[in-house]
Amino acid sequence: MVILDNGYIPSTLDEALQIRSENKVIPYAGGTDLMIKAENVPYLFLNKLAELQQISVDGDMIRIGAGCTYTSLLDSPITPKVLKEAIRLIAAPAIRNLGTVGGNICNASPKADSALIFYVSDSKLRLCSAKGERILPIEDFYVGRGKTVLQPDELLIEILMPKKYLDNYYYQKVGARQALAISRVAFVGLFGMEDGKITCCSTAYGSVSDTILRFRNLEAILLGKTIAEAKELKDSFLAEYDKAIVPIRGRVSADYRKRVCMNLLEDYLTQNGI
Amino acid sequence: MSNGISFILNGEKVVSKGKSGDRLLDILRDEFNLTGTKCGCKEGECGACSVLIDGKLANSCMVALGSIVDSEVVTIEGYSRTKRFQVLSDAYAEFSAVQCGFCIPGMVLASEALLSKNPHPNESEIREGISGNLCRCTGYNAIVHAIQTASEKGAGLW
Repeated sequence: MVILDNGYIPSTLDEALQIRSENKVIPYAGGTDLMIKAENVPYLFLNKLAELQQISVDGDMIRIGAGCTYTSLLDSPITPKVLKEAIRLIAAPAIRNLGTVGGNICNASPKADSALIFYVSDSKLRLCSAKGERILPIEDFYVGRGKTVLQPDELLIEILMPKKYLDNYYYQKVGARQALAISRVAFVGLFGMEDGKITCCSTAYGSVSDTILRFRNLEAILLGKTIAEAKELKDSFLAEYDKAIVPIRGRVSADYRKRVCMNLLEDYLTQNGI
Repeated sequence: MSNGISFILNGEKVVSKGKSGDRLLDILRDEFNLTGTKCGCKEGECGACSVLIDGKLANSCMVALGSIVDSEVVTIEGYSRTKRFQVLSDAYAEFSAVQCGFCIPGMVLASEALLSKNPHPNESEIREGISGNLCRCTGYNAIVHAIQTASEKGAGLW
């Protein structure tokens, strides 16, 4: 471990958790969100901790270290295509060399483009402290804009991403320009069928509200249905989403956001034969 | 407690008196007088402050000093002593790809980062490679042509 004037550089994850339990520190992963403020606060520098930078396949799951940078995930053959597609549209190469998925999740912006993919894929987060660990669905991690349930002694260690259904995806990011674009609306949908019945119709919505949105109760309307049955239900399904999605005004109007969400949801269904 | 923060700057070991939360950009300019690294936006949008850290392009305004202990930092001053720089410099000159010049140190290092990863990029890969570096003068085409030419003339260097 190296102790700096106002910061710590742990050599191992155990050291990092020990420092985190004994001191009030801000975890520093890629720094690209933190350094906009550039405050003189005590940082726990995690950016060189190899234990947080692994990506591997574990049965029907992909384990992604919270400290993996966007560039390392773009370069890895393990990273699912849908995640790569979202990452390619994040910022520009220099930011992607520094920024991490763990930082993107913990910064808790509803515009977090990588977190959106973890939302739709039922990913879970592994949080560790010196006392132990807990694993929770990413939806339960967020309390509101910029707010999470991460405790002062905890660190996000890895993301556990189920592989099932990742291949048939529909992803659209609507931004104002091609590079360095902040999402105005980001939409992702997964779709899967087994034995002629719909087994997955997950959709998630970024940049729309205070957190990323997902409506499992509405997805249930189409689960277990055939394509023909789903077509019958399409109008009422869309009407339910129209009620459920309540965008807030940001750089663009709430009406615009709503319209884009509904257009993309409709297109996602159409693309999947519904 | 350590006495200062050490890293490798343009090939030489240095010890900064800065604080661990200071921006690398400010340290480079104010402590080491390396003013080729430009300060444009301080929020990672413009790329004028680009440097190479352990061979990778980074916006030095987005980097806390404490995150680069023992890392290798190369600024435009260090890079300008290389053969690769000379090839890029000639190509930029050939196409008049430099107008006011403010973005150019970052643009050249973005060119280097691109070519070191992909020695023969096509046009869209070049545009992607410099997509984090804003230029308000040239309209980019001259820069894209310069990088294309450098990749041809500098064959074998990257």
